[in-house]
Amino acid sequence: MAPQTPAVVMDNGTGYTKLGFAGNDSPSFVFPTAIATKGPSAGGAGGGSGSGRPAVANKPSFLTGGAGPTGHLSAKRGTEDLDFFIGDEALNAAAGPGYGLHYPIRHGQIENWDQMERFWSNSIFKYLRVEPEDHYFLLTEPPLNPPENRENTAEIMFESFNCAGLYIAVQAVLALAASWTSSKVQDRSLTGTVIDSGEGVTHVIPVAEGYVIGSSIKSIPIAGRDITYFVQSLLRDRGEPDSSLKTAERIKEEFCYVCPDIVKEFARFDREPDDRFKKYQMQQPGGRSVTVDVGYERFLAPEIFFNPEIYSSDFLTPLPNIVDTVIQTSPIDVRRGLYKNIVLSGGSTLYKDFGRRLQRDIRHLVDARIKASETRAGNAAKSGGLDVQVISHKRQRHGPWFGGSLLGQTPEFRSYCHTKAEYDEIGPSIVRRFALLGGPGST
Amino acid sequence: MPAYHSVFLDRPNPQVIGAITLPHSRTTSNALAASCPRTRGPAPTLPPLPPDVAELTIDDSHESYDPLDEILALFRANTFFRNFEIKGPADRVLIYGILFVSEALGKIKPGMGRRDAEKAVMNTALDTNFAIPGDASFPLNQAFEPPRDRNEAEVLRQYIQQMRQELAMRLLNRVYADGNTPSKWWLSFTKRKFMGKTL
Ligand SMILES: Nc1ncnc2c1ncn2[C@@H]1O[C@H](COP(=O)(O)OP(=O)(O)OP(=O)(O)O)[C@@H](O)[C@H]1O
Ligand SMILES: [Mg+2]
Repeated sequence: MAPQTPAVVMDNGTGYTKLGFAGNDSPSFVFPTAIATKGPSAGGAGGGSGSGRPAVANKPSFLTGGAGPTGHLSAKRGTEDLDFFIGDEALNAAAGPGYGLHYPIRHGQIENWDQMERFWSNSIFKYLRVEPEDHYFLLTEPPLNPPENRENTAEIMFESFNCAGLYIAVQAVLALAASWTSSKVQDRSLTGTVIDSGEGVTHVIPVAEGYVIGSSIKSIPIAGRDITYFVQSLLRDRGEPDSSLKTAERIKEEFCYVCPDIVKEFARFDREPDDRFKKYQMQQPGGRSVTVDVGYERFLAPEIFFNPEIYSSDFLTPLPNIVDTVIQTSPIDVRRGLYKNIVLSGGSTLYKDFGRRLQRDIRHLVDARIKASETRAGNAAKSGGLDVQVISHKRQRHGPWFGGSLLGQTPEFRSYCHTKAEYDEIGPSIVRRFALLGGPGST
Repeated sequence: MPAYHSVFLDRPNPQVIGAITLPHSRTTSNALAASCPRTRGPAPTLPPLPPDVAELTIDDSHESYDPLDEILALFRANTFFRNFEIKGPADRVLIYGILFVSEALGKIKPGMGRRDAEKAVMNTALDTNFAIPGDASFPLNQAFEPPRDRNEAEVLRQYIQQMRQELAMRLLNRVYADGNTPSKWWLSFTKRKFMGKTL
């Protein structure tokens, strides 16, 4: 076994998988966490081909109590099982006849272990092209991942792939480490509130000294996919020549931003139409080129974080209020640190001025509460106020992956992993615990 | 941040009937207005806009900004909201106005020239057969109050009539700001229903 191979870092998200090697600035591969297999598609909401606006996503299963179907490794496979594609190739294959498209991860958690195993197999052998027995692996998991899921993961990694060593880190903790690259972050602290918003779900996760405060986590059913659907519905209301999900997603990623106030923003479009309205040129599948006008969705779409009511009829709490509640329900001695280091992570936090608006709105909530309590207590009890700081940074997009890259390259990383030999001796339960990587005392 | 309220809530109320304020407003003077027999009504009129201020972009801090400007300024944002907590009589003007703008906008079809749109919209605006608070067919009676007597009812009816005409004209100015084709941006709001209601 070569001692100096870089660790493999894999962050499998609901929407996208980020694959690469520790020590790098960005993942080598980013592609949809999708697999195309022979037969019909699973159908339903997870696919990218739904039509119309769906009801807001269901609660993640960890909130409803069930741990989801406990997956099972298929012991033996026939050759037909090699007939599958992952990532963008899966989308292409499923566009033709004969293949069905599946998304093995729902709400951040692996739900189909058989598909996930095949997805990992292709990731390792076809994309990264590494021999797993020569590498240590750093994998990520969502907050509150049930221990059985960790064990299933270890079983596949060690028994099917023979990987040399394994560390499983919580995405939010990695996202905190990723923010160390920001100049606003002075100490390399693992205390902070992580807002991780990707494709399927938005988590608000308080972390104190590297440990997730599980009882205070909140997740909200509004994330990238909902914003895409909202853009699509606005395109449809105007009868644009193309309002496919793909077009809606491209428009979202290229043109959307967060504004301070939607009424003022409508007025700004009236005043500066040439500057505000845009055009999106695209080729339709037949090769025909069409132009789609882009307008109010630029600021209305990400507004659903701050005003969910404009999109959803059953989830109404704005993100800033959720963040404030998460911190208020955390232990009192860490609240200051949680307000001071609110770290953004994931593709759906990339909108211009997202952090600025969030910081302003959280500050308003905090200031109003302080003022109210000062009034109650009389002027004697003037408090010094609270520092609310939202950190945007260069590595935010792939925050969990980059944090994994950072920690996976440290000299002590391997000593925090469980090895194949340890797994063989103790069994899957060994992965229920990992020592805290990047915590106090490590470099 | 919920739906937007009226900035006129905290201004001294001129007069309240049916739990709505009877707003002071400007009257648009153009050829279309001249052709409408009843544009004048009981609402005290504000002076016309000074030459350096445009109707379509007047700011809410300007002294000539009136409740009808506000209705058109908030219309697009507020039609996304189903919930609205009424904080006072000025908010009821806002609600009625937004619902009327929705109705008027619905008369304009894609590609319709301004002339035809004026006919269709003014037809609705000038129709005297509309419900006022207290009438059985008024859709928001839980949130409004009936006038106390026949006299109040008559004044209220005239106010609303005047408001409908004035709003219709200002709406047309916005929808046709760029020439003889209606703005697709405005027309995209025809299906949205503020508070889930229609007049
Ligand atoms: N520049 C951008 N602006 C806005 N959204 C973006 C941008 N780039 C990517 N996204 C969106 O981010 C989402 C993917 O983010 P990410 O990779 O963090 O999600 P994920 O990890 O797959 O999902 P999850 O965290 O929910 O499991 C998609 O909805 C994508 O459209
Ligand atoms: Mg993610």
